[in-house]
Amino acid sequence: MSVSHSHAEAHAHHELSFLRKYIFSEDHKIIGIQFLFSGLIFFLIGGILALLVRLQVGYPTGTIPLIGRWFPISWGERMSPDFYAMIFSMHATIMIFFVIIPLLTGAFGNFTIPLMIGAQDMAFPKLNMMSYWFMWPAFAVILSSFFVEGGAAASGWTSYPLLASATMPAGDGFQSPASPHSGHGQICWLVALLFVGISSMMGSINYMTTIINLRAPGMTMFRMPMTVWAMFITAILQSMALPVLTVALMLQLLDKTINTTFFLPPGGMAFGNWHTGPGGGQTLLWQHLFWFYSHPAVYIMILPAMGMVSDIISTFARKPLFGYKPMVLAIAGIAGLGFIVWGHHMFQSGMDPRLGTGFMIATIMIALPSAVKTFNWLGTVWGANIQYTTAMLNALAFVAMFVIGGLSGIFMAATPVDVYIHDTYFIVAHIHYVLFMSSIFGIFGGIYYWFPKMFGRLMNEKWGKIHFALTFLFSNCTFFPMHIIGIAGHPRRYYDSTLYRFLDNVQPINQFMTISALLLGLAQIIFLVNFFWSLFRGAKAGANPWHSNTLEWTAPSPPPHGNFVQTPIVRRGPYEYGNPEIEEDYEPQAAPQPSAVPTPAH
Amino acid sequence: MQHKGWSIFFGVVLLASFLSIAISPLVGWWLPANVSTFGPDVDKLYYVILGFTTFFFVLTEALLVWAMYKFAGRPGAKGVYVEGHHRLEMLWTVVPGAILLYIAIAQIGAWEKIKYPKQMPEPDLVMGVTARQWDWTMRYADKPQPENARTWAEVPSIDDIYLPDELHCWKGANVRIFLKTQDVLHSLFLPQLRLKQDALPGKTIPMWFNATDFNTRFNERTGTCELTDKSKEWEIACAELCGGGHYRMRGLLYVHETKEDYLKWLEHAQKAARSRQPEKKPTPVAAKD
Repeated sequence: MSVSHSHAEAHAHHELSFLRKYIFSEDHKIIGIQFLFSGLIFFLIGGILALLVRLQVGYPTGTIPLIGRWFPISWGERMSPDFYAMIFSMHATIMIFFVIIPLLTGAFGNFTIPLMIGAQDMAFPKLNMMSYWFMWPAFAVILSSFFVEGGAAASGWTSYPLLASATMPAGDGFQSPASPHSGHGQICWLVALLFVGISSMMGSINYMTTIINLRAPGMTMFRMPMTVWAMFITAILQSMALPVLTVALMLQLLDKTINTTFFLPPGGMAFGNWHTGPGGGQTLLWQHLFWFYSHPAVYIMILPAMGMVSDIISTFARKPLFGYKPMVLAIAGIAGLGFIVWGHHMFQSGMDPRLGTGFMIATIMIALPSAVKTFNWLGTVWGANIQYTTAMLNALAFVAMFVIGGLSGIFMAATPVDVYIHDTYFIVAHIHYVLFMSSIFGIFGGIYYWFPKMFGRLMNEKWGKIHFALTFLFSNCTFFPMHIIGIAGHPRRYYDSTLYRFLDNVQPINQFMTISALLLGLAQIIFLVNFFWSLFRGAKAGANPWHSNTLEWTAPSPPPHGNFVQTPIVRRGPYEYGNPEIEEDYEPQAAPQPSAVPTPAH
Repeated sequence: MQHKGWSIFFGVVLLASFLSIAISPLVGWWLPANVSTFGPDVDKLYYVILGFTTFFFVLTEALLVWAMYKFAGRPGAKGVYVEGHHRLEMLWTVVPGAILLYIAIAQIGAWEKIKYPKQMPEPDLVMGVTARQWDWTMRYADKPQPENARTWAEVPSIDDIYLPDELHCWKGANVRIFLKTQDVLHSLFLPQLRLKQDALPGKTIPMWFNATDFNTRFNERTGTCELTDKSKEWEIACAELCGGGHYRMRGLLYVHETKEDYLKWLEHAQKAARSRQPEKKPTPVAAKD
């Protein structure tokens, strides 16, 4: 179907019902906003779970502050160790599968891709709608898992057998001898993630097809904004990695329901005097399958943010992105290398140490494209004319914090050092610097940046900056000390580390981080209020409040169904900022006058 | 906040982070004591990486903060119209690449030394450690070096004794542990030895260490082990989530000063264990005349 006709003609005779327009919508913008809202709701849930984790770790003995009275007196007015395991497991599960991936790929991917490439919608609008609605069974199952017998899953977000997979025969009601939470709760976890995976796979097919096939005339691959490149490569990652996770989840589900033994070893296992029968499987198999997906998953969780940050920084630096092609190659490099490093999560797992050597070399090298990107962002702000909008501040924070997160990764990539820091808070520090301090700052930046395009109104800049400043300060206070206690050897996932003398010195740091985390949580209220208030009372936004070059800013705010009244003709790349030969400091991609000026200096 | 104030804000937070690491060793927030022969390999690599990462942290963050300060926008101004710089791109690809490659290759030896079974030294002491929810069971053979250690690792012997949460050895001994688990994944973590190994169901995994310092003296009179110094309470922790009791799988590492001291303790422990066990051999008929 030709894309050069106005979409309005095709739909002029047919006005959609409220249900079809806003609920079961096939419009990528509405679907993107649906992902945004559900992602933010789960961010709240995941954040509350994080605060519960911090309360336990900061105050491991005695009545737990603030919430003690809600726990049974028979528990000592504090949470039990199993409860704690459930809380941190669900915190991570929700943040990864229900917040960051849906926000980056589902919300921003959906909203930006067709607009930025000049398309009317995604290649498969019905598939797109389904990819959102397949999340709802996942939402229902994961939330109700808190209320099933035994509680929600508590084997970490990593669900390693045999803690997660050991189950009595089906006739005994799916109880687990390994943990009460590994019965129904674990089954719910597996089912929920299966739905999330299917949703993501549908989305990834849509994104790849749309980007390859539906670009507007003149929009060559190397005139696409970095956001689109990042979403494209992320979609490739998702499509290739998710099938493996799907298989792993199914295998564990079968082990738990019909007593297959994919992960039960030939010797079986013993809980006290109770023995299982022998299996024919390998526990390590789960780890390989799981991490074959979950390592690319962490790049799925950062590459879109990197792309968005590149566009935001260039826009507000009023300067071309430094090194556009190297930036694209770096994203491809990170993604490609990302497929051959999964074993670095398994260095100490008992797998053959020779494999460890191989994975180590690839893992260390992955720091290289990340470093290249960081230097190119620096190059972008060097000699710039920086506009300190809230979006820009969040994007710059991404860069500053990603440096720390990326550098800390080198320690754990080094296998001898990993012998010591594996499963300590050093790892937890790294995780949160790349996920909270990088991806989430990227998400905040994207929200402040694209909010006007989504909703036709601007978020409040003053409160945005206050939110940013408090978040930046308190997140550093919460997560940076984790490096320190990690180096002291503080293990992760510990209910109470005061049992250990070698950790005596660092116990006060735990309290400091807990208080910082609480303040960090409170600061997010500012964002919530700003977001919802601005939806209804924010200053009206024009089409291009940021004077940005990319195509979405030529459409109205918000764009109508079909996006563009006339298909844009793209005449130049997305980063024509600061051209000295023209009056304006920006030159949109589809601006009518062809650029008659000399090509920029190299 | 005024425009340039943002760079100062970033700078202050980043500086505070840097300083917190700088003061950590001075206030006791640092690596624990290192009493392992391969420990220095681990720590040296850590310091080399710390050196490189600190350098690049300071370089990139200082450049960022400086750029945020110097290039804060002025009305009517324009950013420099530059798309890239080929030579710069090559420089900051090749130099970090070379550094990373060096770090990767230089460390292979240390990893092999710690983990490759073929490179583990001949043991002076062979032990078994079996993890379970939620303690460690240490298994000691009749003598430190049983014949055919690998077979002993799999086949219980009638002379073995089992002690919970106590890992005894002596200074300078090459200790080889065969690690198992009877239920879920666990991980034996000995911070002062810079040693960690996950225990896999269905597998017996060898690990080794050689302690360079001692912390235990066996008191023959009381039959107990005494810590030579309060600061040398070396602990064992579990480092793989294994259920609700994961945090309380605490054990203790007892490094005796000499083999003799260890053997005295072992003899005492064996007597105590066997006195609790039923008779294994038929009582010899007293042949007094």
